[in-house]
Amino acid sequence: MKFTLNWLKEYIDVDLSVEVVADKLTMLGLEVDNVIELYRDLDAIKVARIVTVRPHPDADRLTLCDVVLDAEEFQVVCGAPNAKPGLLTAIALPGVTLPSGMEVRKAAIRGQESSGMLCSEKDLGISEDHSGIMELPDIARAGQSLPDALSLRDTLIEVDLTPNRPDCTSVLGIAREIAGFTNQKLKQPVKNELPELTGEGVPFSVEVLDPEDCPRYGARLLKNVSIIPSPWWLRKRLLSVGLRPINNVVDITNLVMLEYGQPLHAFDFHRLGGGRIIVRRARAGEHIVTLDGEKRQLDQEMLLICDAEKPVAVAGVMGGENSEVIESTRDILLESACFNPLSVRRTARQLNLGTEASYRFERGVDPEVAPRAMERAVQLLVDIAGAEIVANGYDCVAGIKPREAIKLRISRTNDILGLQLDVMEVGRCLESIELTVTVADEDTLLVIPPSFRVDLEREVDLIEEVARLQGYNEIPTTMPIVPMSFPEQQPGLELRKKLAAMLVSQGFFEAINYSFVDENYFDQLQLQGNDPIRKAVALLNPLSEDQKIMRTMMLPGLLQNIARNTSRQSNDIRLFEIGKVFHPLADEPLPQENIRVAGVISGRRYPGAPLLHFGSTPVDIYDSKGIVEAILQEVRIAKGVKLEFSKESSTIPSYIQPDSCIVCWVGDRLLGYIGKIDTDVLKSFGIKQAAFFFDLDLDLITEHGPEPKSFAQLPKFPSVNWDIALIVPETVASGELLTAIDYAGEALVEAAEIFDIYRGDAIDAGHKSVAISLTYRSLEQTLDDKTVNKVHQRLIAMLEKRFQGKLRDAG
Amino acid sequence: MEQDLRQLQADAETNLATLDNLKDLEEIRVRYLGRKGLFTSLLRQLGQVSAEDRPRFGKLANKIKEELEQKFNTRKAELGASDTGAAGQRDDLSLPGRLVPFGRLHPVTQIMDEVCSIFVDLGFAVAEGPDVELDYYNFEALNIPLHHPARDMHDTFYINDSILLRTHTSPMQIRAMEKEKPPLRIIAPGKVYRCDSDITHTPMFQQVEGFLVDRKVSFADLKGVLTVFCQKMFDQDDIRLRFRPSFFPFTEPSAEVDIGCVICRGEGCRVCKQTGWLEILGAGMIDPEVFKMVDYDPEEFSGFAFGLGIERIAMLKYGIDDIRLFYENDLRFLKQF
Repeated sequence: MKFTLNWLKEYIDVDLSVEVVADKLTMLGLEVDNVIELYRDLDAIKVARIVTVRPHPDADRLTLCDVVLDAEEFQVVCGAPNAKPGLLTAIALPGVTLPSGMEVRKAAIRGQESSGMLCSEKDLGISEDHSGIMELPDIARAGQSLPDALSLRDTLIEVDLTPNRPDCTSVLGIAREIAGFTNQKLKQPVKNELPELTGEGVPFSVEVLDPEDCPRYGARLLKNVSIIPSPWWLRKRLLSVGLRPINNVVDITNLVMLEYGQPLHAFDFHRLGGGRIIVRRARAGEHIVTLDGEKRQLDQEMLLICDAEKPVAVAGVMGGENSEVIESTRDILLESACFNPLSVRRTARQLNLGTEASYRFERGVDPEVAPRAMERAVQLLVDIAGAEIVANGYDCVAGIKPREAIKLRISRTNDILGLQLDVMEVGRCLESIELTVTVADEDTLLVIPPSFRVDLEREVDLIEEVARLQGYNEIPTTMPIVPMSFPEQQPGLELRKKLAAMLVSQGFFEAINYSFVDENYFDQLQLQGNDPIRKAVALLNPLSEDQKIMRTMMLPGLLQNIARNTSRQSNDIRLFEIGKVFHPLADEPLPQENIRVAGVISGRRYPGAPLLHFGSTPVDIYDSKGIVEAILQEVRIAKGVKLEFSKESSTIPSYIQPDSCIVCWVGDRLLGYIGKIDTDVLKSFGIKQAAFFFDLDLDLITEHGPEPKSFAQLPKFPSVNWDIALIVPETVASGELLTAIDYAGEALVEAAEIFDIYRGDAIDAGHKSVAISLTYRSLEQTLDDKTVNKVHQRLIAMLEKRFQGKLRDAG
Repeated sequence: MEQDLRQLQADAETNLATLDNLKDLEEIRVRYLGRKGLFTSLLRQLGQVSAEDRPRFGKLANKIKEELEQKFNTRKAELGASDTGAAGQRDDLSLPGRLVPFGRLHPVTQIMDEVCSIFVDLGFAVAEGPDVELDYYNFEALNIPLHHPARDMHDTFYINDSILLRTHTSPMQIRAMEKEKPPLRIIAPGKVYRCDSDITHTPMFQQVEGFLVDRKVSFADLKGVLTVFCQKMFDQDDIRLRFRPSFFPFTEPSAEVDIGCVICRGEGCRVCKQTGWLEILGAGMIDPEVFKMVDYDPEEFSGFAFGLGIERIAMLKYGIDDIRLFYENDLRFLKQF
């Protein structure tokens, strides 16, 4: 809601500074968003009087004007058709910068000297009017600055209105709030008694068929109106709050709407079929062309204003083109009505058409303000548009329900607010904003709100008013007294924090990507058309194409992060993200939300670590595998996890390089993947360096972990380390040797680890030597060589047999 | 036997003194002390020594082995230290340490953790809900029926007529109250979505909702809890707070809470638009209509709720001027926090 300080002053005396007014309003819940000094940039523009107008010798469309400011006469070249001797107009002298940024200079135009520029309203940013130079009223004096001459100086105040305060969608409403805290009475624009409208003897009729949706409908007829531009004071009012003046009739309805918060509508009376107004719901298949030229399909819930034949307006939203006031209009029918907020809101939404009128009606317009606003508009039409009043008119009020008293308990008020007010204090407080208060007993008030406070319906609404008027900052500050209890935290939350901390300690930075992504990612990842992961929850109204579906995978966002960072020369990347992916469920309304932990690594192995010590070795698949192993150790579900290298190409996702893919399982459930991103996929994301990733189902980890901690006796006897170097065919996966050793179940084997893989001279082609270090220990005794050797030989024999191996250096 | 052992020790020591690199050292170590090395094979002969001498030789053998191992290790350390430069050079302590830097949590996560831990310390439980939410929980049960102007305050992403991306974390009020009876003290952190994108808005951002329900909870209590929160969050025990009337359909009375500008300390600056105040959260007493939706008796119970945006606090705390930076995941940005 916008208004100006000068406008306010028409209804109350404001001797407070604008800062104080803004602060007071803000603290009353009318948050002041902006305070702007209007037309500050026009101080340098002066009033000039044209003395003579002569044709330009070398240009048909230009004239030479001799103008005078103070005493001196000088020449200005002008192109406006309305330049004439005696005219008072606005001039920008050389050196002045116009609001458009253009600087006026002394120049020769087609050989004729011009010492300034005569300005149109558009030149000065006052309006869009560029039909000619400004024509100033006689009160202006040549040489005056324009803002002084036109009393332009004013301060615009903009309030960010909450939906519960429809009474403040008007300057009078705001003034009423200020009158409240400055103890004043409002100066009403309409001072006379309102005429009684009975509908008798007027040459038209009004019928309200749906009083529920139209509690009040007032209409009056005005004759012989001349449709001309509004006088300057009216145009200035509208311009000051950013509204475009159109003609006197439209401008008056707009002014009264801003003044009272009551939207008005003027029909061209002779274009209303049968001189009838019928307020009814739309019929199936009906449509209307609204004032904006759009053809609107109507549905049977929508309330219409119709004449004898057809719809002429969508009630409370917008008028129809077929009954619009045009230049030739002589007689107008003026509507001042009240419509049901829900009905208007529904219609406006359905038509996707929000207007100043619908904005007000859907929040709730005071049903008592309609006749007053009507009278104000009628008086202005008489004054400004030369209208002749047709006596009497209609005011259908069948739908207005009387307001019932609301019971307000003082004890309840004090309990909710933490205050200790007595019944008199509360009563005085509410009376200060025009509520009618009766004391029922010492704990109870009966309160009837004024008609303009449509938002006050319940006891708690009144409690809020008490709080607001007392001042929130006057309410004490206490701590609640609640029984002690143990706050149960969300399962999985701790684990997430732990994992995040672990990854951070491994040099990872946390990324947070949008939950919605581009559908094209699926193609970029080369996923098959029928891949189930393509099934995504789609947004009806995405902001852009690249935010169209809810992500089903973590990887695309992280790949995009690599691309972004490498394009900005950050090439060494360790990023992780913990977040949700969304999978639609067949028989549930809401998708499954699955929390995952995913990470990408690319570039140097130890980003940011001193090159001197760490070199610049790039990451490889073992880095990403190692991180997952560390995660699994940290969360202690390692025993249930099987890391599998994919051998079958059908199980390898299309975006992973087939020979560098590890599938992770918990039992028979897929935990996630570790892998090297396929080069073509990287290319499609604009990534030019190798990248590795991991992606794990965190819900699954939460479900399976952690294993309870338990103590094992510390061994009392020493262990011994024996090595095996086994030559096996290249096709053997080295890790299988360890699995086989583990599977053999030798009680004395405490640990087995591969410490070298060797290929070369002494080894046959197509073979490799895998060196394994075995740790033997007994919990009962110190082991002697003989005992160890027996087990050792058994294991060697087993390995040789299973893997077609041969002991290296068998001596 | 004793002589053999001494000889072996002397040989090994000579070798050790003359070698000059780690590779040779390892070779010699294996030759003498390896599992199949000379020392072991000499020990095998221990069996042939008479029973009364055996403990003495055994002890001696162990002593010599220990000494040798010690010498190997010392030599190894010497060689290791000088491996990159000429032998005998001193460590250059001006060179960087062998540091592998840590990463960092996202600034939004850091602030979120800070916010949550303050409320957890006050006895609040943490609960999370779905990002894709029913219209019912996001709006209707929160006293925002279909044709309510308050819906204009939320630029909502819809999935269909009844499903949307939650526009605030307030739906958790309903979900939690449906499940449990008072007393309740819960905070609900999470991502929320609004179709808006500019220097102060991203279509996804993070919020924390908090609420407390019990008998006789008052607006004064709300002020108390939020005052403690702001003091701790901004580490300023004399922080100034200002409560302004506002409107949320699910609370009444509703308030907006400002703190004295943490940048200019109330003097007036660009960040606080010269007002000296920064709006940081919305709050209020839970509306009786909301209680009715979850079958709580509003005559018996009362409670307060509040919600705050995490990015806004991070921006204030760190002086970040463009909210979109949070979701670009530029390492140059992430490294700063």
